[in-house]
Amino acid sequence: MTSIIPVESLKTKPFRVDPSEAPTEDIREVLFELEEAGEIIVQRVPEPYVEVMTKYGRTKKIPLGQTWHHKSCGQCGHIPGYSTSIFWLTRKLGYDYIDPKDQTSCTAWNYYASATSNVAAQGGVAMRNFAAAYETGYFPLIHCGTSYGHYKEVRHEIVHHDDVRATVRDIMSKLGKPLVMPEEIVHYSEWVHAVRDQIAQHQVRDFSDIVACVHPACHYYKLIQEDAIYDPDIYGGQRTATVSGLILALGAEVADYSTFFDCCGFGFRHILVSRDFSRSFATMRKIEVMKEEANPDVVITHDTGCVTTLDKSQFAPQAHGRNVGVPVMSDAQFAALAMGAHPYRVCQLHWHSTDYRPLLEKMGIDWEAAWIEFEKDLKRLEANEIEYLTWEDVDG
Amino acid sequence: MGSDRLLVIGAGPAGLEAARLAASLGSQVLVVEKRDVAGGMPIHENYAALTHGFRDAGEAMAELIGAVTSHPNVELRTSTEVTAVEGSVGEFTVTLSSGTGDDTVEAGAIILATGFQHFDPGRETQQYGYYEFPDVITLADAEAMLKANNFVRPSNGEVPERVAFIQCVGSRDRQIGNEFCSKVCCGISSKQAIEVRQQVPDARVFIFYIDMRMYGYWENEIYWPAQEQYRVNYVKGIVTEILSKNGRLLVRGEDTTMGRPMEVPMDIVVLAVGMEPSLGTRKMAEMLGVATNKYGYIETPHGELDTVATSVPGVFAVGAATGPADLDDSISSAGAAAAKAVALLRGAEVTV
Amino acid sequence: MSRVAPTTTFARRPGATLAPNVYDDVPYEEKLALWEEVKADPRFPDYLYGCYECGICVAACPSARFYDFSPRRIAQAAAREDVELIFEQMNDDVWNCSQCFSCDRCPRQNSPGGLITILREVAVRHGLASSQEALEGYGRVVYKIMTTGTQVSPDMLQPDAFPDWGPDVKEVSDQLDLWRRALPPETLHTTSTGWEVSEKTLLELYLIWHYSDVMDMIEEVDEGLHMIILDVMEETLEEAGYEI
Repeated sequence: MTSIIPVESLKTKPFRVDPSEAPTEDIREVLFELEEAGEIIVQRVPEPYVEVMTKYGRTKKIPLGQTWHHKSCGQCGHIPGYSTSIFWLTRKLGYDYIDPKDQTSCTAWNYYASATSNVAAQGGVAMRNFAAAYETGYFPLIHCGTSYGHYKEVRHEIVHHDDVRATVRDIMSKLGKPLVMPEEIVHYSEWVHAVRDQIAQHQVRDFSDIVACVHPACHYYKLIQEDAIYDPDIYGGQRTATVSGLILALGAEVADYSTFFDCCGFGFRHILVSRDFSRSFATMRKIEVMKEEANPDVVITHDTGCVTTLDKSQFAPQAHGRNVGVPVMSDAQFAALAMGAHPYRVCQLHWHSTDYRPLLEKMGIDWEAAWIEFEKDLKRLEANEIEYLTWEDVDG
Repeated sequence: MGSDRLLVIGAGPAGLEAARLAASLGSQVLVVEKRDVAGGMPIHENYAALTHGFRDAGEAMAELIGAVTSHPNVELRTSTEVTAVEGSVGEFTVTLSSGTGDDTVEAGAIILATGFQHFDPGRETQQYGYYEFPDVITLADAEAMLKANNFVRPSNGEVPERVAFIQCVGSRDRQIGNEFCSKVCCGISSKQAIEVRQQVPDARVFIFYIDMRMYGYWENEIYWPAQEQYRVNYVKGIVTEILSKNGRLLVRGEDTTMGRPMEVPMDIVVLAVGMEPSLGTRKMAEMLGVATNKYGYIETPHGELDTVATSVPGVFAVGAATGPADLDDSISSAGAAAAKAVALLRGAEVTV
Repeated sequence: MSRVAPTTTFARRPGATLAPNVYDDVPYEEKLALWEEVKADPRFPDYLYGCYECGICVAACPSARFYDFSPRRIAQAAAREDVELIFEQMNDDVWNCSQCFSCDRCPRQNSPGGLITILREVAVRHGLASSQEALEGYGRVVYKIMTTGTQVSPDMLQPDAFPDWGPDVKEVSDQLDLWRRALPPETLHTTSTGWEVSEKTLLELYLIWHYSDVMDMIEEVDEGLHMIILDVMEETLEEAGYEI
């Protein structure tokens, strides 16, 4: 091997982050000060909760149950297996939750795409949703990465800009709602990370042969960077641990690739009206690189836009002979499959574009039989024997 | 009752020079050093050549250490730490702890020469992967390899073809909280770049920078030779990510001259890590009650005309304990502090 | 001739700019007014400090790879208060940004993406032609939000809207009603909305947009759309007993 290189001794010490050296304020402390001053109500994280570590070594509380699920438009609209899997996991692990009708879109996709909004409106939408959760006593759990990043931004603006806070409070009072901010803004993938060992305990399918590439969502960890999960045992605490932690807990392999930190190319506006950009970026900077360097069985991510962009962008490039063809899904769907969920009734993979069947085969899932079962469900629905598929149906 | 002894805490270049000068002016000096050898960072971090004169570090330090240890007025205690301080100017009572137990000494004046530590790249905002990739190293790591004349890729022991330096790692950064410039890294990187080109003549060496800061004679002694004689490539544009691709490092930055993103392979990346106050500086500052600035460095509240007095009469601070400092600074401030301390011990007025 | 005070920046002398003047048909005062509006946004001080042209933002930016776009030039123009260049960027560059905020890695803590958000808002508020052009085809999303409370609905998956997403889109669209009923979560049995939103919630959303002047912005972007939304929503509000 190498001759004496003094570097060795310097490199054997692991990196340990010290929260007392955190370079930023702890926004939760400022929130509590505002609460003391009567400026805002802070909704506390209910017990039981799990504590995880964030970027600068601070701890973040992740509620396990009593969650108010703040849904994602793109998930519910185009990839409903994503939302369904999140609910299914929650139910399977025995936690109670609310799936509210008193919830609007966060409108952040529209905001980042078209800017037809302003800081007061965005604050108003966020606070209205938080007030709606508060009124039920259940704690908001955010399904979408864009919503999550945006709400972190909104929190900063409302806490630090008195004029914005005053305007938003005024709007809330016109709606008869209190001004409430949750103690933590929690993304569902943080909940998945917090319960990953419980998920692994319920695992019934063997994932030891599965190679996954992780795509971390820009809006999860690049916006308000200190509020994202980091773990000294995963990537040495140098990259966010969310998603990777789950995959490792399920015994699958996380394969690295040289464009890990690149955006997926969603672009918010681009995915609708400048599609060549999203398509090209997703193909050339993400999928092709993953295929060439890691050859994964699946790409796992934790945001609506990312799943959409990476999954849907792989069709058109085939016409140009590009190296594409890796199925894409969320950590929630991946975890659900590990726990024995039905690929169609729960994970709803028929809404996905890139072929997922080889992956299911590798997981030991007879997708043909599963599809036949699902088709039977569809027949019953068509014949109006049942009105909807229910939770009882999917667990049968 | 007063004491006419000077206590110097820290036996790095600044501490040693202060001790040497004070001793030669006739004062009794006690130097304490928590490490088991004297010499400070140049010895602890295996410096090869000093910046900017390229003198061999070991040789230069040996000379300085020799001058101190051979002087009858100086007592040097290594493996010794200061654990308590009481009293005030003219009559400090200091508790020292070492392997053999505790001891109490008197001192009339104290010079803090507790120096700096390097920024830990794990706290960096950019994604440099220091703790992930063996071939991403710091200036200190590189210095050690250059001193051993063994500048190779830590991952496989091979000689590198392409080497990159990235400047301002942990400095000039509001997100990290170290907004200051660490002053010496541009010069040190350029010096190391020259040494790499000397030791590995076929290697291409790049320096990615925001600004090149080599003041005074460093410009003509280091920067111009690096470019003109040694063909080191200076690229204005800093790097944001380092990942691994095809067994090499992939470095992602902007070449601002060309105005476009750039992605290039490298074999070794050297992070020009900045300076921060050492643990010793922080501890001693607290123990002695001297004011520090928001970065934890010891404050010298009198600005340009007094670079060594602290907020506590009778306590002086030198070298990198007060802020980023190069060797010239450290030696100069050590001289200033020694002179002022000796004057104090001889009964001069304390001006604060 | 009046003395130029030492604090006068280049930008205050009309015509004096560091960039060639592309939009010289637009009066300088107009451009300046837009820039003043950008600076008056409460978020502006959080988004712009100083810029030492390190290039980290460009290095991390996905749009910089595919467009002639540079977040560094956005931050520089703003820091220099180069009104002419800023106006040009407000028209030509800001819609290239993918709003990923990789540029928030800036060591000075600037947010070029954030500056762009504000620049876009100002452009939209003032009905700049370039913003209307950039948002052509976007009206349906705004309409969807306003009338359903969600941004995306299953029935938006039409093959002619997403031809490049492949043949699956057609299959989904053909099977939509059935497939939506085959979803266990109770709120997802919808096709025209992402999930079932209660009417009260929907109206609250509209009121938020009304009280925060967003409806005025929509009028600038698409007058026809604005009219339709107003008609639909005001009728619903009236029926529900709201008065605004």
